[in-house]
Amino acid sequence: MSLNARNVYPYIVLVLGIASLVWAVSFGTLPPADFAFHNGDEVKTVDPSKATGQPEHRVITALFEGLYREWPFGYELDEEGNIVNYPEPDENGNYPLEAAPGVAESSDLSDDGRIYTFHLRAEAKWSDGSPFVANDFVWSWRRTLHPETASQYAYQLWYLKGAKEYTLADVKLGDPIEAELSDRPRPDQTFPRGTIRRGKLVGIARPPEPQPASDASDENQEDVDTAWKKRWVYVVEQGSEVAAFSKAEASDGWTDFVIDWLDDESRQLPATVATCLYMLPDFEATVGVKATDEHTLVVTLNNRTPFFLHLTTFYPLFPVNRQCVETHGTPAWTKPENLVCNGSYKLQFRRIRDRLRVVKNPEYWGTKQVNLETVDVLSFKSETTALNMYLTGQADWITDVPSAVIPQLMARKEGDYVPTPLLIIYFYRLNVTRAPCDDVHVRRALNMAIDKQLICDKVTQAGQKPARSLVPPGLPGYTSPQCGVFSVDAAKEELKKSKYWNQPGGIPTVEILYNTNENHRAIAEVIQQMWKNNLGIDAELKNSEWNTYLSSIHSKEYSVARAGWVPDYPDANTFIDMWITDGENNETGWSNAEYDALVQKAAEEPDADQRLRWMEQAEAILMDELPVIPIYYYVSKGMVSPRVKGFFPNIQDQHPLYWMRIEE
Amino acid sequence: MSGFASFALRRAFWIVATLWIVFTLSFILMRLVPGGPFDEERKVPEEIKRNIEARYRLDQPMYVQYGEHLWRLIWHGDFGLSYKLGDYSVNGVIAEGFPVSASLGIFAMVFAITLGTTAGVVSAVRRHSFLDNSLMTTATLGIAVPNFVLASLAIVLFVFTLKLLPAAGWGSLKQLVLPAVCLGAPYAAYIARLTRTGMLEVLGRDFVRTAYAKGLSERRVIVRHALRGALVPVVSYLGPATAGILTGSLVLESIFALPGMGSHFIEAALQRDYTMAMGMVMVYTLLLLVMNTLVDLSYAVLDPRVSIEKL
Amino acid sequence: MAKQLSSKPDAPPDGDAARYAALLGEARELRGVSLWQDAWRRLKRNRAAVYSLYFMALVSLLAVIVPLLPLQSPLDKDLKNRIFLAPNLAPVRLGSRADLRFKDGSLTSELLEFEQQIRDLKQSLKQASESERAAILQELEAKYETDPLAKLWHAPGPIVRFMLRVRVSLFRDWCIPSICGTDSLGRDALSRVCWGARVSLIVGIIATLVSLVIGVSYGAISGYLGGWVDDLMMRIVDVMYSVPFIFIVIFIITILSAEKNKQFLDNLGINQLVIFYILIGAFYWLTMARVVRGQVISLKNEQFVDAARVIGAGRARIIFQHLVPNVMGIVIVYLTLTIPAVMLFEAFLSFLGLGVSPPDVSWGLLVNEGIKVITPVKIYWWLIVFSGSALAMTLFSLNFLGDGLRDALDPRMKNR
Repeated sequence: MSLNARNVYPYIVLVLGIASLVWAVSFGTLPPADFAFHNGDEVKTVDPSKATGQPEHRVITALFEGLYREWPFGYELDEEGNIVNYPEPDENGNYPLEAAPGVAESSDLSDDGRIYTFHLRAEAKWSDGSPFVANDFVWSWRRTLHPETASQYAYQLWYLKGAKEYTLADVKLGDPIEAELSDRPRPDQTFPRGTIRRGKLVGIARPPEPQPASDASDENQEDVDTAWKKRWVYVVEQGSEVAAFSKAEASDGWTDFVIDWLDDESRQLPATVATCLYMLPDFEATVGVKATDEHTLVVTLNNRTPFFLHLTTFYPLFPVNRQCVETHGTPAWTKPENLVCNGSYKLQFRRIRDRLRVVKNPEYWGTKQVNLETVDVLSFKSETTALNMYLTGQADWITDVPSAVIPQLMARKEGDYVPTPLLIIYFYRLNVTRAPCDDVHVRRALNMAIDKQLICDKVTQAGQKPARSLVPPGLPGYTSPQCGVFSVDAAKEELKKSKYWNQPGGIPTVEILYNTNENHRAIAEVIQQMWKNNLGIDAELKNSEWNTYLSSIHSKEYSVARAGWVPDYPDANTFIDMWITDGENNETGWSNAEYDALVQKAAEEPDADQRLRWMEQAEAILMDELPVIPIYYYVSKGMVSPRVKGFFPNIQDQHPLYWMRIEE
Repeated sequence: MSGFASFALRRAFWIVATLWIVFTLSFILMRLVPGGPFDEERKVPEEIKRNIEARYRLDQPMYVQYGEHLWRLIWHGDFGLSYKLGDYSVNGVIAEGFPVSASLGIFAMVFAITLGTTAGVVSAVRRHSFLDNSLMTTATLGIAVPNFVLASLAIVLFVFTLKLLPAAGWGSLKQLVLPAVCLGAPYAAYIARLTRTGMLEVLGRDFVRTAYAKGLSERRVIVRHALRGALVPVVSYLGPATAGILTGSLVLESIFALPGMGSHFIEAALQRDYTMAMGMVMVYTLLLLVMNTLVDLSYAVLDPRVSIEKL
Repeated sequence: MAKQLSSKPDAPPDGDAARYAALLGEARELRGVSLWQDAWRRLKRNRAAVYSLYFMALVSLLAVIVPLLPLQSPLDKDLKNRIFLAPNLAPVRLGSRADLRFKDGSLTSELLEFEQQIRDLKQSLKQASESERAAILQELEAKYETDPLAKLWHAPGPIVRFMLRVRVSLFRDWCIPSICGTDSLGRDALSRVCWGARVSLIVGIIATLVSLVIGVSYGAISGYLGGWVDDLMMRIVDVMYSVPFIFIVIFIITILSAEKNKQFLDNLGINQLVIFYILIGAFYWLTMARVVRGQVISLKNEQFVDAARVIGAGRARIIFQHLVPNVMGIVIVYLTLTIPAVMLFEAFLSFLGLGVSPPDVSWGLLVNEGIKVITPVKIYWWLIVFSGSALAMTLFSLNFLGDGLRDALDPRMKNR
């Protein structure tokens, strides 16, 4: 280093410092939006087929629209968007919602309740001005169901005939099938673009099944199994021709393959086997959705599904624009500059973990009734920060508030924090495969030793109602059976009946697992004290961050775990059918044949009233055996500025932007 | 300048080696953590989960995944698609978040250095005065209070009591002031103490006395002669300070809802967003390495006794 | 010694002896000031450092004897009557909360009864026949479950239990009123701050000791061996400096808290807290290693090392018996600076929700709870002020103490 450099260096540093400082403080400023709301966490995706979660729900409902849309019962607007009739809330402050026509103008239902015919609006358009046709739904639903899309919510469409088999690639001999050849023009394109061959599956050739190694883990076994299935050869009859397909690259010699034929045992395997990417049931022939003309969509369901119209307001059933998806590919089509949508808003720009700005979509069929021109969707996590922004006027609506200040918020003279009951339950899962919760008496005792009223009054504080059933109240026609009420003496009596009473070592310690969150921790601490004081049962607290928590629940490595359940559609079934034996979301190990039978009966019951009765009977069993302890029913925790009209609290906590308007 | 060239070469080698080690270590650790990126509260049917994993090539053996990730990173400079933020590539997230974090960091750093050195010099020159004592007490307090506490108190004071600044958000200089000051404060305090110590030591040296004897003004002696020597410990502190500011920005970005990289950093690690977490770790490591190199370089320039060949 | 000298055959005349004796006495005086004594004397002149030292001694003592103090229970939650009470002087009796169902609403009576029952059961066990023994043992077992102490303090170990019983017999049901207020679940803030001191200080001290052991050995070995070993070892340190270790800590904490790993560790008798100490310590040794290495390099060519080598001392012996004690001064300085860093890091982890889990309580957790209730609509100032000042004052004094020690141990400071 020369002396020269040494002298110059401080100035270089100084100049660099000033330059970076100038750069650091040079911002482009944004014009403010008409309306800003805090949406919780960053929206993970705006692709309706791939999204899950509440924040996504709010954004996707603004950008896209399904066959029907949620609408407050009795809320009427005229052509120009002026309010004609403003509905009245019920005694809880909630407004009942109905499924109102969206893209569909009307629908007809067949007598057996299984076939819906939707008549789409002639004036419905995409945001690029192109007309909306019934086939857009067929294509979008097919995309959602296709295994390659790997949609986590694909099962919301499984009410459709043949939909589940399509997603799971469940093909049987004799089925009409579609095989996608591996000749995609662009390999990065994630939705099928290769040549599709249709035909009837007449034979399946299987290589010898690999013998499971004795020391193989489950996961290894699964891999071996997948590899084996990949080598299967499918023989397909296409008119008079017969072709063979396999997912594996040209495997040589099928001498040891065992072939199942559909009918004619004398057939021969064709000489060439084409490689295919997917072997699925033929969508057009097997899945219950068809466009009979440009504006008519016929949907065939497996069973009568009373909540299907409500389901069409849910984003997994929303349409996406084929042209847009196919031109840009996934995920590039969701970029603001590419996105073509059909909802009341379109995406202007996105700044990750800051905001997403949407503007009114002029091509939307009801655009005149949409009041807010530009809306900022603020995406960051902290509730305290959101509250700070609300109080300084930077946000007009926040969806959650910190629970420590709820009493103060409720006392505000502006009256802008009014919690209303929601259709969400907070409960504890008990792992019935572990001591001591494998004993029903212990479970009942644990339930009765919790003073839920006290938790609601002093811990959650927002007017939550203590829960004695799993299905929250508020569903028309359904009355929940109740579990045992808080009583220390009754709880002790119940505990004395358990097999752990007066055993050496006492009652085994339970561990309360909860995901990292102040509120869950406070509740767990209080329940720990109640169990210790009222029953003498020791409880330890275990706090895990979300993914570890989920992984513990899924692998049943817990004894007691906190949980919540948000319904996908307003119907008791969404709370009830998850507890069947080995149900995907059961996770408690609990199993009851009678319960399973009742759930099955309810699913097949054509009579709407009787269906509810079956479900009530099922819940009665659940509330007697208590593999879950209901703690409380949620209330909404949102705060909305008094200048906003058309914000209708409801049990589903839905607040689409097209309801709202600002009155100065 | 050959000394500089060999220094640069050696440093480049160590930077690459460190990045590779960090890459490998993070890769292994992430996959040891229980729970995968696609676990959801509503359990997804096994078949669908397998489809998802196939799409992200998580069904491949570990060494294949490792090779693919490393190759894509080296060859294309690409971290891949985020597993959790489905609409974004990791590079896209970094491109959006980095300028924010960098602005915040630079602002905080400049604030810390300016305030810290000024306070330190004043304190050293007016040694044992009331001013010295109170400045140094404040500085120690600045080090002793966690930055999230400082931030909360500052919000109450400046946002709600005095109503001077906005509560949160990003996009204007006003919104930058509070987080940057809270972020820089502890480092300003530390730098003040380092400067004071260094200054006291230098002020006792012969060359300073000579300078005074020559009749130079106090200001000139301090700024031209003493300060350079006094700043050596401060410069060597800038490496750890950068690391600290990066860490601190995680907290402040969450409190002030800033769209920087910090929030992604923690989120990605907690949500098993492997690609995103990897991207964040690599960017942070690179930043630290570059800063440490710059600090070493400055060290050699400021202190004649340090030669660049030995670094 | 003077006597011995004069008894020697070639002893100088008496006058000289007296002179020698005087000289010797003087020399003895001078020799009496070792490095440590000198440092101590200089430290004593630094008022801030001395007060800090007293303060730290006080806090440590407090942390040790917390169970003996007449404090309220740190975890008994009185939701019905005591949520968010501002600091007050209203008297509180231990065990008076109605839902505890203690006899006479008093811990003392309940404890007396409990112990009486245990004694009775043990008595009857002695007289019981073989057939009755099993039943009585069972009853005894069940009785232990209802220990009133375990209802007010989380899983007290034998030592803590003993201290708590001493506390009950000393102060009976009397306890200090909630002079620091109560928190969102109606727990006494003062008692939580005091119990939090235990965890926070232990985290700080143990983590620092871990870092001390790793850092000093690593630095000393690297510095003493020199050559390529030193190069490699120091490069590793450089690499580790550049690793964003929060990330690694998050991962390791989540890996270790997974059910399987946790059970494995539990069987080894290691709980989450211990992992915590070790983990943090394992990341804070880097600076220590660098500093120690520098010192060892400058010391290893000194004569006393050569002397040790000459008489055949092994490398390990030279490093750990001769060199390490000589770098202890600087190490102690760094210790006092590492403890606050670790405590701040613990607070940071609490902010992320990865800190200690309840019912354990640390200052980091308390401060974090405190800032959660600083909102524009209502500020429960007492929840942040007391825990915050406890943390800040401790860090404050540790910093001052560190500065003071550095000055005191720095030979260049000797004559200033």
